[in-house]
Order: sequence, then C-alpha cells, then structure tokens
Amino acid sequence: MNETRFKNVKALPSTHLLGTGTPMCAGCGGLEALHEIYDILGEKSVFVNAAGCMTLLAIYPFTPFRGSWLYTAMASAPAGAQGIRDALDILLQKGQITPKDDMQVVTLTGDGAAYGMGMSATSGAMERNLDFLYICYDNEGYGNTGQQYSAATPHAAKTTTSCGPQGFFGFKKPLFDIWAAHRPAYVATVIGAEPLDLARKIEKAKELKGPRLIIALSPCPTGWDFDPREAIEIGKLAVKTGIWPLKEYVNGEVVHTKLPKKRLPVERYLEKQGRFAHLFTPQRNEELLTEIQERVDRYWAEMANP
Amino acid sequence: MFRIRFHGRGGQGMKTASRILGTAFFIEGYEIQDAPRYGAERRGAPIFAYVRAALEPINERGVIQHPDLVIVADDTLVPAPAAGVLAGADEHTVLLINSHEEKEIWKERLNLQGPMLILPILEEVEDRAELPFIGATCAGAAARLVGVISRPSLEQAIHDELEHLGQAIVEKNLHKSLEAYDLMAEQSGSATPSPVRSAQVWENPGWIELPFEDACLSTPTIHAGATSEMLKTGLWRTMRPVIDYEHCNRCWWICSTFCPDGAIPVKEDGYPEIDYEHCKGCLICVAQCPPHAIAAIPEHKFQEDAPEGEES
Repeated sequence: MNETRFKNVKALPSTHLLGTGTPMCAGCGGLEALHEIYDILGEKSVFVNAAGCMTLLAIYPFTPFRGSWLYTAMASAPAGAQGIRDALDILLQKGQITPKDDMQVVTLTGDGAAYGMGMSATSGAMERNLDFLYICYDNEGYGNTGQQYSAATPHAAKTTTSCGPQGFFGFKKPLFDIWAAHRPAYVATVIGAEPLDLARKIEKAKELKGPRLIIALSPCPTGWDFDPREAIEIGKLAVKTGIWPLKEYVNGEVVHTKLPKKRLPVERYLEKQGRFAHLFTPQRNEELLTEIQERVDRYWAEMANP
Repeated sequence: MFRIRFHGRGGQGMKTASRILGTAFFIEGYEIQDAPRYGAERRGAPIFAYVRAALEPINERGVIQHPDLVIVADDTLVPAPAAGVLAGADEHTVLLINSHEEKEIWKERLNLQGPMLILPILEEVEDRAELPFIGATCAGAAARLVGVISRPSLEQAIHDELEHLGQAIVEKNLHKSLEAYDLMAEQSGSATPSPVRSAQVWENPGWIELPFEDACLSTPTIHAGATSEMLKTGLWRTMRPVIDYEHCNRCWWICSTFCPDGAIPVKEDGYPEIDYEHCKGCLICVAQCPPHAIAAIPEHKFQEDAPEGEES
C-alpha cells in the first residue's frame, strides 16, 4: 500500500468503536492504544485474549467489543487464534460465509504473555505463517496482579518483586528483534500518545496477510506510579527521549517511523514516574542514570551506523 | 457477632481501615475476620471492606449481608446504587457518613429508620481520591462506636498495621484515628452486635433440576455489541473535566483520541462532548487541551452545587 488514509490528525476517527464502561484503570495507556487500534481495525474482528488486565474487558454479560472475544490461558492466545483462523477458513471453504464476512483474528495480550509465557506459542504461530494480528499492550510488568516484574520491565524500575535500592536488575527483552527474526509479514512498535503513527501502522498491518505483530508501550498510572493525567505526556516523552523507538519491520527491513530530532535526556521520562523515584531521591544515583542514558545512546548510534 | 462494613473508593484505604479495626478487636480478645471485597480495585471505583468480630469462633463467610455498622468514607457514594452502601441496612444498623452535611439532611434524604451519625469532614481536599488518612480515621470512629475497644488497643493496632510505612506516617494516622475515636465518645457502644444464626435454622434452598444442555446452548453468549456501556464508570470520578465551549477551538482530535475510554465523542458541529456517565476522571483531556479550555472541578463540589435530583 502506498497511500495512507491518515495524512494528518484531522483524518483520525472522531467517533469510537470500542464501548465505554470497561473496568480498566482511569488513564490506562493500554486501553488508549486499544481504542485507537480498534477504530482502524473495525468491527469485523475476533479477539483472542490471554489472561491479563484486559481479561477484565469482557466480563459476562458485558463487552466493549462489537464482535466475538475468546479468553485463553496466559501462554496460549496465539494457539487460540490458530483455532479461530482455521474455523473461519473452513467456513469460507464450505461457502458458509463469504469472503466479505471474513474477519481479522486478533490476539490481545499483555507483556507478561508476549515477552514471557506466550513466547513459544507466538513463535510457533509465526512458524506456521498464521494469518493473524498480535497486539501486545506492554506496561512493563504483571500489572493486573500488582505489578510484579516481567521480561518487559526496564532496567532499574521498581516493581513489587524488584523493590531494592537498584530496582530491577534485568533488562527489557528486545521483543521487536525476536519477533522480526522470524521474518513475519509485519512487526511494529506503537504508543497511544502518537495516534497518527499508530493509525498508519494499523492501516498497513490490516492490509497484509500472515503474522503481524504490534507492541504498544502502555504507560500505566497504577503500576508506574504517576498521576493518570500525565499518561500522554509520559508516552510522548518515551518517544522524545528515544527510550521507546517507533519503528516497523516490513519487507525484511526495519524502518524508524518517527525520529526524535533532538533526543531529550532520558531522565525527563524517568523522573515523572514513581517506579524510578529511587534514582532521584534521597540522592541522585548517577551511576544508574548514566547507564540507562548510555544504553539509549548506543541504540541510536547503532541504528545510524548498522 | 459484630458485622461492620467500610465503604469508600479505591485508594482511600478501606482495606487498611478493616485491618486496623480487625487487629484492634483481636487485641481485645475477639475472633476476627477482615477482608476487602475482591474485584476490580481501581482508583476511584467504589469498593468496600468488612470486619466480623465475635467472642466465639466465626463460621459465617463471605460478604456481610446485614451489617450492624456501616461507615462511608466518601459521601458522594451514598446516592449511587452501584456502590451498595445501604445494602442490607435496617433499623438496627448504625450508619456513619463522613460528610459536610448535617445528620438531618441525610436522614431525610435517605428516609432511614436506623440511627445515623456524621463524621464531620475537617479538612476537605480537591480530589477525594486523595483524602488523607481517611482509612485510619474511619477505623478510629468504628472502634469507639462498637464500645468494646480501648484507646490503647486502637493505638497498638495502628502501630501493628502501619509500622512498615515509617514512624512519621504512623504518627499522622494515630493522630487522625484517635481524634475520630474521641469525637465518637458520646456514641460509644451505639453499634451493637446482632445474633449469629445457627446452621440448624438455615433452610436449604429448594432443589432445582437443570437439564444437561449441549455446549452451544449452555455456553454464555452475548448477542449485542458494546454492552459494557451499561456500566456507568462515571461513578469512579472524583474530579470532573468541564469543557468551556467559548475557548474550545474544535481541535477535537486531541481530547477525543487521547481519552483512554473513548468517552469524548465529537458532535456534528465539531465540538467534543464529555460522556459523564462513563468518564472516569483521569483528566488527560485537561492536561492535553491546547487552549486550556477544559477545567477540572472536584466532583463533590459539583454534586453539592447541583440542584436536587439532578445527576451526572
């Protein structure tokens, strides 16, 4: 596809498909990304939801979706998607539905499933070239159970299971690279705070066939400890500081879709979140702050000179 | 057995209140149960926690159906049926509301048979989700109303439950809690225990035979889209965004897109409109509006100023 329908912000949808009244927290960055995605994706979609915060979206008899929704265990949402895709294909083959009635099969999971428990099932689905869209709302921890660390938790972040003075010892797993290494049809990172970039990517993914995977960084007021009203500002800072690069993998190439002209210091992003407060008070932890900044700098240096 | 329910919003510390009261009872030699209602404990959403205390073993389980004492930390929840503040309350139930308003006003408004008390709001805050030390305050009031908890036992319970938060926080909570304890001196013992119904008098419900149905019939299905809209999450809101249309310059995509809940649809004339039945009050729209045309006002002030009978 060459032409985007989303030339500027005025082309963004002004009415919204996803129903209100969900039990997601006020200011949820994951719900924000999902409602923006759903507007573009449309109601001809079936969601396969792994256990996580968004399990609570559809509690019988309530659902914010306009189509079907299936709940699976944490590690098996891509396997659930395979089943639904197969069922739709059989219905198509038998002529019981027309190609016009076909639906997008969408896997929806948090980072706990995407970066950890469900990775094997996702790898398998890509291996089988499953025609599905995977949306990961990444709030960098097991948010629904009180923010324990996950494989997506960034270095030094405080979670309920990494509460020492250094925060989380590990490093955020490079899921984009791991997914792209499978050479699927499409991989992209998005964030709700950049809705135009998000809309163009979903528009593109929608038109492709095969495995298409999206990671949406999801600022989480509850798990990251910030005032909900700051959610967008923090999301924008994630992009402007370069800690959350917006990019896509398509036709075997990685392209950055939004290059921060002058990258802001990464502290500007960190200092707004309670989970990094120990890096600033009672005194600044220069060593950790430098380490985090250097890691971001190295990423962009390698990006410029691969 | 004493049966006490604390009602508040996620973040106001109702679970802490139940723990403090439970521990205080325990120190006095009671058997106790204290638990928050498990569910979606979101910030601002109506929640409750409950305490049972008895001198004999407690066999009753689950949510308290017939409370002896109900304590409401945030009076904006009282008129909301979904909050279930008055569930199971009868002429025996003592109701204590943390409010600016007089007892008589509440009594008339609610048409209540049982005794009604007010815990006056001493310091008001803009955002009720951040009411300071309200959990310990409610626990202090409850401890006095049941009449069997001494001042030292309450102090001990607060130390036991809040010690991990540091001395300064313990001191502030102690001060607030004991202040409420002393304030309720005249009403000491007004909340009385009610009898335990023995298992022998329990009547089994009649046996209902359900025929075995095939999965395609017995699996729950929903035949309509977006039914979640029937859930009025506007109830969670403690701060209310209000659009000043004189300053709105109709760059609608910002507030409408950034609202995580999709609760700001755009009208045909290009102006955004906030859906107050579902707006959770995150205030992202207030923070992002370029001409600063959206203000945040405390929800409790809005409710106080609204004419009687008008909601949302």
